Amino acid sequence: MESISRISSLLETARDLTLEAARDAGPRKSTRPLPAPQIKKLLDSRQEREVLDGLRRIIAMQYANPPQATLTFFPAVLKTLSHPYPSTRPLVYNYLIHHAELDPDTALLSINTIQKSLSDSSPRVRAMALKTMAGIRVPVISQIVSLAIKKGVSDLSPLVRKAAALACVKCVRLDETTRSQVEEYLAVLLADKQYYVAGAAVQAFMEVCSTERLDLIHPVYRRLCRMVVDMDEWGQLALLKLMTLYARRCFPRQTKRTKRAQTREQKARDFYEDLEPESQSQSFEADYEEISIADPDLTLFLTSIAPLLQSRTSAVILAVARAYLYLGPSTHLPSAIGPLIALLRSPQDIQQVALHNMVQVCLAQPSLFVPYYRHFLLRSTEPPNTRGLKLEILTLIFPSCSPEIQSLLLAELEHFSRSPNPALVRESVRAIGRCAQSPNLTSSRRCLALLLNQLHSSDDNLVGEAMQVIRHLIQRSPTEHKKTVIRLARNLDHLTSATARAGIVWLVGEFADSARDEVGQNGGVAADVWRILVKGYAGEGEEVRGQIVGLGAKVYLRWLNERKKEKEEKSVNGAGGELLLSPRTKENHDGEERGFAGNAVTHQQQEEKETSHPIELLWQHTLLLARYTPSYHLRDRARLYRALLAIPSSTELASLLLLAPKPVPQAPSPSESRREYLLGSASLVVGEDMRGVALPEWVEEGREPDAALRDETGDGTGEYVGQGESGRAGTVSAGERLDGLLAPGGGVGPAKKGGRTLDAWLNEEEGTESGGESEGSVESEEETSTEDETEEESESEEDEEAGLVK
Amino acid sequence: MSAIEAVYIFDEHNNLLLSHTYTGRPPPPLVLLPLYLQHAAPRPSVLYFPSLHPSTVLYSIVQDNLLFLSPSSGTDTEPLLILEFLHRVADALEEFLGSPLLASKIASNYDIVAQILAEVADAGIVCHGEANALRDVVETGPGVLNNLLGKVGLPGSTAVPGLQGGGPMVMSGSGGGIQRTVSGLSALQPAQTAQGSAIPWRRNNVKHTSNELYVDIVETLSVTLAPSGRLLSAFAYGSIAFTSKVSGVPDLLLSLSTGGKGAGVGNRGDQLRAVMERTVFHPCVRLGRWKSEGVMSFVPPDGRFALCGYEVDLLGPEAPLTAGKSTYGSLGLPAGVEITIGLGSSGNEFEVRLTQPTTSGGGASIATASLQSNLSGGSGIGSRLSANKPGIGTGDSKAPSLDKLTMRVPLPAAVRNVTELRPSKGEAHWSPADGSVEWKVAAKDFGPLGAVLRCTIQGPLAADGENAGAVLNGMTATTYDYTDDEPASAYQTLDGQEKQSNGIATPVSREAKVEKSRELMPTSATLSFGVKGWLASGLRVESLLLDNKKSRGLGPEVKPYKGVKYLTVSREGIELRC
Repeated sequence: MESISRISSLLETARDLTLEAARDAGPRKSTRPLPAPQIKKLLDSRQEREVLDGLRRIIAMQYANPPQATLTFFPAVLKTLSHPYPSTRPLVYNYLIHHAELDPDTALLSINTIQKSLSDSSPRVRAMALKTMAGIRVPVISQIVSLAIKKGVSDLSPLVRKAAALACVKCVRLDETTRSQVEEYLAVLLADKQYYVAGAAVQAFMEVCSTERLDLIHPVYRRLCRMVVDMDEWGQLALLKLMTLYARRCFPRQTKRTKRAQTREQKARDFYEDLEPESQSQSFEADYEEISIADPDLTLFLTSIAPLLQSRTSAVILAVARAYLYLGPSTHLPSAIGPLIALLRSPQDIQQVALHNMVQVCLAQPSLFVPYYRHFLLRSTEPPNTRGLKLEILTLIFPSCSPEIQSLLLAELEHFSRSPNPALVRESVRAIGRCAQSPNLTSSRRCLALLLNQLHSSDDNLVGEAMQVIRHLIQRSPTEHKKTVIRLARNLDHLTSATARAGIVWLVGEFADSARDEVGQNGGVAADVWRILVKGYAGEGEEVRGQIVGLGAKVYLRWLNERKKEKEEKSVNGAGGELLLSPRTKENHDGEERGFAGNAVTHQQQEEKETSHPIELLWQHTLLLARYTPSYHLRDRARLYRALLAIPSSTELASLLLLAPKPVPQAPSPSESRREYLLGSASLVVGEDMRGVALPEWVEEGREPDAALRDETGDGTGEYVGQGESGRAGTVSAGERLDGLLAPGGGVGPAKKGGRTLDAWLNEEEGTESGGESEGSVESEEETSTEDETEEESESEEDEEAGLVK
Repeated sequence: MSAIEAVYIFDEHNNLLLSHTYTGRPPPPLVLLPLYLQHAAPRPSVLYFPSLHPSTVLYSIVQDNLLFLSPSSGTDTEPLLILEFLHRVADALEEFLGSPLLASKIASNYDIVAQILAEVADAGIVCHGEANALRDVVETGPGVLNNLLGKVGLPGSTAVPGLQGGGPMVMSGSGGGIQRTVSGLSALQPAQTAQGSAIPWRRNNVKHTSNELYVDIVETLSVTLAPSGRLLSAFAYGSIAFTSKVSGVPDLLLSLSTGGKGAGVGNRGDQLRAVMERTVFHPCVRLGRWKSEGVMSFVPPDGRFALCGYEVDLLGPEAPLTAGKSTYGSLGLPAGVEITIGLGSSGNEFEVRLTQPTTSGGGASIATASLQSNLSGGSGIGSRLSANKPGIGTGDSKAPSLDKLTMRVPLPAAVRNVTELRPSKGEAHWSPADGSVEWKVAAKDFGPLGAVLRCTIQGPLAADGENAGAVLNGMTATTYDYTDDEPASAYQTLDGQEKQSNGIATPVSREAKVEKSRELMPTSATLSFGVKGWLASGLRVESLLLDNKKSRGLGPEVKPYKGVKYLTVSREGIELRC
């Protein structure tokens, strides 16, 4: 994240970029194009300078826009390969790699010369030759390349060995059949003593084998862990990725309560736990799950990557954070948060990606970010994307903040909800809404008060957004917010935002009914609101009109239901029931109901005959209004309601449709949908699954490869690795030993078998007493069964390999 | 899996400058560019195009107006890896072609660029991140770099190995272009430095005629002020750029001091670490020494590099949340800012005030800082510590100089025009394109009295018409008293719509006008400036020692010239909300 070009742009503000550009824009001093024959002549020259000049021109032509045909020079360029000048070589190689695919036959002519360079006295020349040879994309030569790599692997110079490691990738890409050979080379290179060779080997391993052949890692695991600090950033990145996968595959999950007696540390603890009083051991028990039983090898990895948190490369910091998040969240993750925050000072492009990842970590452990809340305050100069992510983090940490910080954050959100930028207003209001979901009652009440205040704003956009969020909040717990609904209804007088009005009307229709008891009036506030709204029906927007009609339908329906219930009560209790409605209307209705029970009566007739209840009249009026609305959608809807409520005695269907409890809206954090993506992956940033390497589940206890595999096969051989042939010998012996271990009847054999039978036994147990060991889920079982297969495969491969080596 | 597929570079007019394919068959640049440009202006650095086949993720950075693109199709990749890689490519190009990167420089040096690109990644696997070490492998050829560096006028070009057999190796030191010929035969040529450099970040066989070491500490401010003037956050993001032009393999020891901050917390190293938070280091820094003693011990790459990055919480670690203590003045920044909105008869004016902080912070702290630098002059670095680097100009640590004082006030999109701009000093103008008022004050004009800018803004046409109508109707409408009182009791009598129409018909009272123009008022203002010779964090370079025992290839009597430069920059970094 520290890039010198960024700093120099700060330092050299004085220099005017444009001025310089103007000076530079003059006639380009670059090579003026020469005709082809002349370039050929240059290439054929005996003078180094001229040859170089010719090559330069060709390279420039190759890169120029629009590209010019340079293929015709192929033979001439190849001829220069035999020159002894070192200066021309990189350019020729560059040309060769670029054109080999277009003219494979000519390219093959060069192989011989390159092969000669492979035994040049200068390691740099050898490395370059190896690199170039592997880069020639002509499948025919794959075996030659493979041989060249084999030679390179045992080269004395680390430069060449590094080139060999990288060539492995190209070789496999060229020809899949060389894979087994290449894996063999990689096994040797992984054990290299020189850290940058090992780093390149890890990179190549990730590219070639990805998650297979983890068995190659066992013998070098500890050495790689120790070397990681010295590798270059790219090697570190590959290693961090590899080890994260490896750890999941090879160290059983540590949070289980099953005791692993292998670790000495734990034995000691068990010992002391017996002695300590009950209360203390229980408190011990609490962190026992989390901290206690890390495999020493896993701990080695986790501690050895800690210095990388001070890397200047943002990707490395993030990769360390990823390892901590997925391997040892409770113990190590806190130390990675600070460095993650440091990514915020990197350039804009990196900052965005970093924020996405921070949100991901924050979803898992919000409290860790609380001390850094100041870093997430918004700035007006930031791009919208960054703001959204910062807002999200602020809302995520909100519940775990102290009250003072909470009020500061709310003030912050309030400030941005008054911004002129509609998108920002929406996001900040929604953020307030998410804050309001916090379990803490006082803070959520404060959020609601804040939102209600915003209804008085003159900004329609803000009011609309705030109203929506309020609606969600009320829907979540309607009983608590009875009074809020009434207060909202009062706002209808001066609100202008159509969406906000519609929202309030809807809320009144849904929930104001429950406020009836306090008002003590028939139909509650809802009926009154309806009455007032109908007056101004003509002035409302379509959205609000629709809601008014809906509100009317609901109130009317409730009224009908009420009456029906009363009637039933009456018929049960006899005629002396207590009346809720005014006696006069009551009588009327009763009489009417009885009178027309038999013959189907249309509404109009009913209306005419009755000096009916105001609600009924109001309903008729509303229907009429809706009938002459320009919007056909609304007319349709009104027609539907009319039909639904046409027969006052049968309201079951209408109740089902209109009074059904609405599902509570969920407003999760926007990144919640990305939760399953791996930290640091591109999928996480773009929000789409892109077929990355999925993080495997923790290996099941007892199925992990034996820890003895990671024992370094005699430090003596380690010392020799990388020094010519002896290095190879050393690893061969390692392979042999491995082979011996895996051989039937060998040291590991029985243990493995025992593990399997134990597992089988465990499975049975789980089958019978369901739930006792619910942690071992079905998925993980599947996982391990597939893993079994791979393990078996790898064993057989191992045998093969050993055979090959012999 | 984590392979770089290609790098495309476009110039400032989005013309393709260079395309280099590493592996596979990535989508060609001319397919990607239109897709990239489709997105609105602040383009995200990671874009996803599911419409391409295979669906492709496009990574982009912009460096010196050049656009770097790198597509990645197929499987998942690590975005930060690719973005970092692109930055490294930019760094490497800058190392060879000089800063700033220009399209013409790339176009006239395709051969060098091609080699750099081929070296930094092999078959898509990033393998060579260090710009300086690339000098060992990239053939620059005779004269190219000399011309180039001479042309760009880099202060003190780095040594360029001659190419031709028997040709002179020209080295132009910064001390006035002394040219000296070294009998550097082709043995010194890059490709022939047989073994790789023992230090992966430093090239082999460094030779300089004049040995120089420069430390440039740059701090970028990021300060947020609440409308009340209270500090919400105040950070200084620091970077230490180091320039080393010393022959052989020098071993350096750089110690910083906190300038009094964080006193009383353990030893000096602890204090320093308390001030410099969340540090990141160039791989050359020995982390052990930093942890134990708080000094940076390292073998530098040759030339300029970013040694360290850190941040300083200017509010202190546990700043009180309550107002009062954390005021702007306590930061000691050279310029303060206030903004008042809703002024004037109809509330459509606002005023920005630039002040020199009256609290003891500003000038005093700068004075003490320079005093300290005088004192520290005795230790190790010598009196030349604060001497100017050639070509830097004014602004050393003795007399910090403020420049480029710029105030930017973004206005809402609804603002149609800014009718009046009255700066008391400097120049102000409104640019409708980016919708903001920019006000520049020359440092020499900026006295202790400060400066004031007053602006009158005009809202959208419709709102104006309404206002005019209101004034015309002013005589006839007499009920506004009533409507003013109304909102509380309107529930039963009036419905919203009627009241609304009444409100429009009546002449708008001042409050209403203010309320209306409130939407047109700016919500924030940002201040930019640069101060040379002063650091917001108060950090100082205490000493820079060259360990002659550990160093190799350096004569015992060599005493390199050392220079230190401090710079505090605010690039819209001070933000005031209103």
